[in-house]
Amino acid sequence: MSVIECNGLTKVYGGTKALNNLSFKIEENKITGLIGRNGAGKTTLLKIIAGLIKETAGELKVFSEKPFNSLQVSANVIFLHDQMNLPTALNLKELLETAASFYPNWDRELADRLLDYFSLNPLQHYNGLSKGMKSTFNMILGLSARVPLTLFDEPTSGMDAAVRKDFYRALLKDYIAYPRTIIISSHHLNEIEDLLEDILLVKEGKELHHMPVADLKEWAIGLQGNTAVIGEWTKNKEVIYTKSIGIDQSYVVVRNHFTETEGQRARNAGIDITPVTASDLCVYLTSKTKGGIDDVFNKG
Amino acid sequence: MLFNLDGTKPIYIQLSEWLENEILNGNFESDQKIYSQYQLAEIFNINPATAAKGLNILADEQILYKKRGLGMFVVNSAKEMILAKRKNQTLKRLVQEIVLEAGRLQVSKEELIEMIKTADIGEAEK
Repeated sequence: MSVIECNGLTKVYGGTKALNNLSFKIEENKITGLIGRNGAGKTTLLKIIAGLIKETAGELKVFSEKPFNSLQVSANVIFLHDQMNLPTALNLKELLETAASFYPNWDRELADRLLDYFSLNPLQHYNGLSKGMKSTFNMILGLSARVPLTLFDEPTSGMDAAVRKDFYRALLKDYIAYPRTIIISSHHLNEIEDLLEDILLVKEGKELHHMPVADLKEWAIGLQGNTAVIGEWTKNKEVIYTKSIGIDQSYVVVRNHFTETEGQRARNAGIDITPVTASDLCVYLTSKTKGGIDDVFNKG
Repeated sequence: MLFNLDGTKPIYIQLSEWLENEILNGNFESDQKIYSQYQLAEIFNINPATAAKGLNILADEQILYKKRGLGMFVVNSAKEMILAKRKNQTLKRLVQEIVLEAGRLQVSKEELIEMIKTADIGEAEK
């Protein structure tokens, strides 16, 4: 069953298309990573899914309903981001108690234990928290609500390395115990890729790729060696990234269409074949030029 | 983290190799139930779908067999199958690499064979 169905979704902000004819489906009980560069439209997409803003054109359905002004969607979705508008009059403890009355599956014990574990003072107010502590509190809200669709927008921003690690583990443990659909947008793909089942890569408001993370790792390979030899081998291949090293060496990332024997022949010709990490590949795929930042400095 | 996450090998392949080692080390006997995908997900902090993929590699190679609703179990000849597979695949690939590097370094065949003969096998030798 698809939890989210999106067809030709477009959102225009003052003449700029934040989302441009985006189409995809998210299936039930999967953890999907929403990956893209700054300004790719990740937050806009999550806002539309949560029903906070309306699309300009196209259609998006969550649980077969349009999310904007839908009680059904609000009750079954929680959206955590770094601009949460929580009541300033309530302290953390009261916020959790209030949240409990909104979500039928709310786990009060989990919320209290997490609050205690991360040493958040229950009497403090949300606005008085540091950036990392705000993110930590958002995570507690998101996990304890246990709603069918959880949306995390940059959940780890401001968190230190230890808290991030704890967060990933907590998310996975709760997901194993209570499977549900989760979307996480993050810039730390290398940190979250093991948690993910699928990845949705967006670039300039369009869907670039939607596939299992495991496939992404084998999707492309890096070739390194003599520039002339590499040029010969990559002639008819789909080149994703290229970089020259030293005088006559290059590193080129291509689609992985190599067979076992072809790979062996390339190695015999003196080419080093290496896998490309998912996080590097996403950087290459979402970059505007094939040479990356080096192109800016190459005037000649 | 117990796995090498730098991307040199997909996690599910590392997982299937880890499970093979568990069987080789005798931690799992024939017809014994192996870890479930959820146990593996919890141990290694990975998505259960990834863990299932690792288990399925071994099921496809018939090193594990499925019992409906009960999980996956180790087949009788699992150890022999893993050893044969590693010899045919992993060892062959490593030898290929050694020969290639020897060629680059202009090491002769005889020299290379001598190096292999005198290599210290340590405790692995029986």
